[in-house]
Amino acid sequence: MTPKGVTLNTNSHKIKFARRFIRTLLKMRKNAPSSSSIEEIRKRSQRIKIAAYSSMAHAVGSRRAWSRAILFKLRNRARHHGMMRRRSMKKRVIKNDPPGDQSQTNKLRQLVPGGKAMDMCSLLEETAHYISCLSTQVKVMQTIADHLSK
Amino acid sequence: MDPPLVSESSFSAANPAAYSLAELWPFCGSEPGTGSLGLGMGNLGPNPNGFAESSGNRDGSAEESTVTEQSGGGGGGRKKRKEVSSEDESSKMVSTSSANDLLSESNGKRMKVAGSCDDNDGSKAEVEASSAADNKPAEESTQPSEPPKQDYIHVRARRGQATDSHSLAERARREKISERMKILQDLVPGCNKVIGKALVLDEIINYIQSLQRQVEFLSMKLEAVNSRMGMNPVMDGFPPKDLGAQSFDASGMIFGSQMREYAQSSQPEWLHMQVGGSFERAT
Repeated sequence: MTPKGVTLNTNSHKIKFARRFIRTLLKMRKNAPSSSSIEEIRKRSQRIKIAAYSSMAHAVGSRRAWSRAILFKLRNRARHHGMMRRRSMKKRVIKNDPPGDQSQTNKLRQLVPGGKAMDMCSLLEETAHYISCLSTQVKVMQTIADHLSK
Repeated sequence: MDPPLVSESSFSAANPAAYSLAELWPFCGSEPGTGSLGLGMGNLGPNPNGFAESSGNRDGSAEESTVTEQSGGGGGGRKKRKEVSSEDESSKMVSTSSANDLLSESNGKRMKVAGSCDDNDGSKAEVEASSAADNKPAEESTQPSEPPKQDYIHVRARRGQATDSHSLAERARREKISERMKILQDLVPGCNKVIGKALVLDEIINYIQSLQRQVEFLSMKLEAVNSRMGMNPVMDGFPPKDLGAQSFDASGMIFGSQMREYAQSSQPEWLHMQVGGSFERAT
């Protein structure tokens, strides 16, 4: 099977991601409460991080399992923001892996969004795509940071 | 001695009643080979020598008692046509003389029995010899006959452990996984030299973790920069005069078409341009 999404349209994803991310940054900049308490700073950096992930997920779209998982989580979070979680989400855990690399596979599952409900094959595929997207994201963020701090 | 035997055998070939006897031979003879041999000898009694000769010529093995007997039924007919002196023709004549379904059926049965007997003996060559000895009395029956099929069955049986659906699926899954692993190895830097699934997984996990940490760090950095720019009115309002011109020099030519797209958005252009240009440099 050729890795269709792995040799991804990195450029288009990159551009989409950058657009979204920069828009979010500007929005945050506009209504930034100029408080420099540690709590605030942490919260804001958290928001930026979430914005980065969500922009990447939006750029990729809902074709990929990991981006779907991120989007779903974000939507859920937005819906239940400030509320108690009413029901605990049932998580489908597939355990057909050999016991040898159980811990590593589980680690990978925790790292890749939505990885808990995947079998080994799709987990690896999603991991590949996720890695490529993540490296793109890091590159773009690095560039933006460099330019802004100049 | 010969003429009566010839007539008898030819009659038996034409005669269904005699053929029922011929059919009976293998069935009673399949298990006790020597007894059936005796029976055959008894039936062919008038010319034991000739029968022995013919069997010796054809098969050269005394083990195939049943087969030689069966062919002995046609052997009489062949003897008659020794004047014509072509075995194939003689056997064909026999088969054509009694070209009813009964014969072919009985032949097929005989072939099966012979095949099983020889399988017990464990010599395939003898099976072939027996089929050759039977000549082609009924070619239709030899085609679905056992010896060639048994080979396939044998091969299938050897592969049987791997051919059942579960292990096939498992093998396909493993292939898939290793393929994906290869792709991942290409993606993760410094992972090509690592051998072993566990180590590769380790590398992958480390890489993802490092990337996520990088994202976290960069978001902190961006937060600092962003808030500083947000707090600083000069920086915030800083118009795209100098920087915009700069980035135009750098990337205006390359990114001409994309810039239009960006310019349509409500955001300040300079940032997009800058980012676009730096992408180009980064990649």
